[in-house]
Amino acid sequence: MFHRSTSAVFGLLVGCSTAPTVGTPEDAAYRFDETCAPCHGAAGAGNPEIAAPAIAGLPAWYVTSQLHKFRDGVRGTHFDDIEGMRMRPMAKAVFEDAAIDALGTFVEALPSQRPAPTVAGDAAAGQASYATCTACHLADGSGNPALQAPPLTHQPDWYLVKQLAKFKHGVRGAHPKDTSGATMRPMAQTLADEAAMNNVIAYVMTLGK
Amino acid sequence: MQLYLLPGSTYAGDIDSLVLLITGIVGFWYVVTNLMFFYLLWRYRAVEGQKALYVTGHEPDLHRWIAWPHYLIIACDVVLIVGAVRVWYHIKQNLPEAGETVRVVGQQWAWSFQHPGKDGLLDTPDDIKTVDEMHVQVGQVVHAKLESRDVLHSFSVPVFRLKQDVIPGRVITAWFEATVPGVYDIQCAEMCGIGHGIMAARIHVETPEEHQAWIAQASPQI
Repeated sequence: MFHRSTSAVFGLLVGCSTAPTVGTPEDAAYRFDETCAPCHGAAGAGNPEIAAPAIAGLPAWYVTSQLHKFRDGVRGTHFDDIEGMRMRPMAKAVFEDAAIDALGTFVEALPSQRPAPTVAGDAAAGQASYATCTACHLADGSGNPALQAPPLTHQPDWYLVKQLAKFKHGVRGAHPKDTSGATMRPMAQTLADEAAMNNVIAYVMTLGK
Repeated sequence: MQLYLLPGSTYAGDIDSLVLLITGIVGFWYVVTNLMFFYLLWRYRAVEGQKALYVTGHEPDLHRWIAWPHYLIIACDVVLIVGAVRVWYHIKQNLPEAGETVRVVGQQWAWSFQHPGKDGLLDTPDDIKTVDEMHVQVGQVVHAKLESRDVLHSFSVPVFRLKQDVIPGRVITAWFEATVPGVYDIQCAEMCGIGHGIMAARIHVETPEEHQAWIAQASPQI
């Protein structure tokens, strides 16, 4: 990373930037390395220490839609969304639509890196609750782009539990422009408490294997 | 004509005067020493057949060239110190009574604000919580209770000439009284990680009517 930054500075100094053309695969790789990898890791495997989820293998449509939301202040602008506020300036740094599209394609192509389960929940109990989720996320958790429902088989369980809590309490999905988030909010509200969330995510962790 | 950034708080002028005083005095001595330095380089340049002379600086007629500027610079230092202490005392040692108190929370990499709402008290159900935007009333002393959720930050509002470090584990009170309505930048002035450079927010300085209207519109439904 250091020599790239240095060469970019030299590029500016001599009046021609060495940064790749916006929207190209090289541009996406460069930006991933500069902007995403410091938290999400070079392989997109995430880092639970700083609440950065695994992103490798997520579909391009979902990655781009979330980057747009973060960039435009639709996600990550709630007072209690501490992790979202950390993500937001990173998305603002990738402000061109073409660059966001290229990053989505890049992230989708990374081999999925779902970490081992960390949340203790009763998967059998969670299976019943998951019936509600199947309408959009499908029985195998593979998601449905037509309904803006992402796959649930790529992200770590701690992240999914946290997102359920955020949806339930209006920390995520409450922005007037977050239409897909607004769909998810009432679904999360059907889960009574943290134990119910842990159970359903414990079941989700059995999917996609 | 506005030569530099708008002075937007009651003490912005004091800070600017101090900076100008320092720039003027230090600039004067910078020019004088450089002129002297280059004059001496030219005056005592190498001349064919003339031996170099070792000067210890103790000779009375030479020593005064060192001693007198020294005394003058010490006198200038006293002027600067008196000026700086007066401004420091006025801004940092003196805390005027608050018209409104706002909690300002820094985190990697955003500013969030908890405004007191209609009842004027923090930590009550009518508090107005915002991210990236702070609302204050012109002509009112505001206490900003600065907190950090993670690492060191610094709450900087250039138009107010306000810059105060935000330290995890501590609640630090900064104050200002805005004088010109408008929307201005808030920035982080302490390296806090990869997103430090874009950790920005905006402060809305509103007339009393605008501020009341904002409170009415932004208040949570209770």
